Amino acid sequence: MLQAVARPRSLAEARSILGGNPRATILAGGTVVMPVLNCGTDAFDTLVSLRASGLSEVSIAGERATIGAMTTLSALEAQPELSFLLPALDAIGSPTLRNMATVGGNLFVKPPYGDFAACLIALGAEATIAGPAGNRSEPVEKTVAAPLGRDEIVTAVSFALPTAGTFKFRKAARKAFNSAAIVTVAAVIATDGGTVSGCRIALGGVAKCAIRARSVEAALAGKPFDRANVEAAAAEARNDIAPADDAYASAWYRARVTPVHIRRALIGE
Amino acid sequence: MKKSVVSLTVNGSETQALVAPGATLLELLRENVGLTGTRRGCEQGACGTCTVLVDGKPMLACLIPVETIEDANVQTIEGMTPAQGLHPIQEAFLEGFATQCGFCTPGMIMATSGLLAANPDPSREDAVRAISGNVCRCTGYEAIIDAVLDAARRVRAAAQAKAA
Repeated sequence: MLQAVARPRSLAEARSILGGNPRATILAGGTVVMPVLNCGTDAFDTLVSLRASGLSEVSIAGERATIGAMTTLSALEAQPELSFLLPALDAIGSPTLRNMATVGGNLFVKPPYGDFAACLIALGAEATIAGPAGNRSEPVEKTVAAPLGRDEIVTAVSFALPTAGTFKFRKAARKAFNSAAIVTVAAVIATDGGTVSGCRIALGGVAKCAIRARSVEAALAGKPFDRANVEAAAAEARNDIAPADDAYASAWYRARVTPVHIRRALIGE
Repeated sequence: MKKSVVSLTVNGSETQALVAPGATLLELLRENVGLTGTRRGCEQGACGTCTVLVDGKPMLACLIPVETIEDANVQTIEGMTPAQGLHPIQEAFLEGFATQCGFCTPGMIMATSGLLAANPDPSREDAVRAISGNVCRCTGYEAIIDAVLDAARRVRAAAQAKAA
């Protein structure tokens, strides 16, 4: 049974509560933790709400965006420099949910959720993590894959703004709006004279967490950016994914359609 | 387990309540304040029937521990209803037969209110998007979507009449 909801006013205070109580858990936007609480749970006895901890600043400096972990997804929709993310944000939950769900929280939700984490991985984002030894940085790809230390808190994510037109996103879902992913594809593809000069491709909904499709990237790098090469590379995704069955799709179906949606994300057809 | 006192503004009135840890805004509204227009649905954030405005934005009251939004400004369906008659959004839902059993209606109307505050002239797709977090098991949605668009016209007309 829940014993307390802590509302720390600083990161240090939040970390000290988390460090001192193994049954304390972080509450960000509440869209994933609160349903657990509402069902009745013994998994935690204290919620540490970060709403008052001042982690919701978005700053765009030069070509780099830094987004506080408590920034809501709807707050990002209002940032003109981040307009390339609008199709991705629009594909996550409903507008009502996006008024609550946070960028930091999205890193820790389980599949089929976590579309924004896939976007961040594609963007090569770094997570800033406050911990016992001060701040450290690591790729978001790593943060989503392994649990943080008990008194560690993601405070922000940051990434270089992609060149216009290089960010690609596609989410296959059962409804046009507010549906979890069958597979989510996010990618940044740089080309030079029609040849792929750099690519980072992330997938959501088809593994334990959002992942990089490294086999696809390797197969596409240096190749002419055309349908034949994209299709051949997308087929390599079978080496990267480990999809599961859920109410939205079977693992078989996810494996079958992932290459198709990678192709559609990358070349639009 | 220690209860605590929280202060909120609910429909323009300052409100204090003694709540258990983790009590949701939904519980506070229904059980402490007696405002039962905000419905208790799934308590999972999936059905949208508990949608209220928190500091002007539609949010799900079942997912907000009330202790975390101290001093927030909350508006519910009761606060939107004028002393006499109905709000234009309510009129649009009533006259457009956009309500059958009525369980989802307060959430639909609060989501519509949030939409129209940000976008007074929504497209049909904007309307569908705005209520995409609200489940209705009766109407098949088309009448609701029509009502959202009709509500937008009524709210714009009311604003113009006020300005004139």
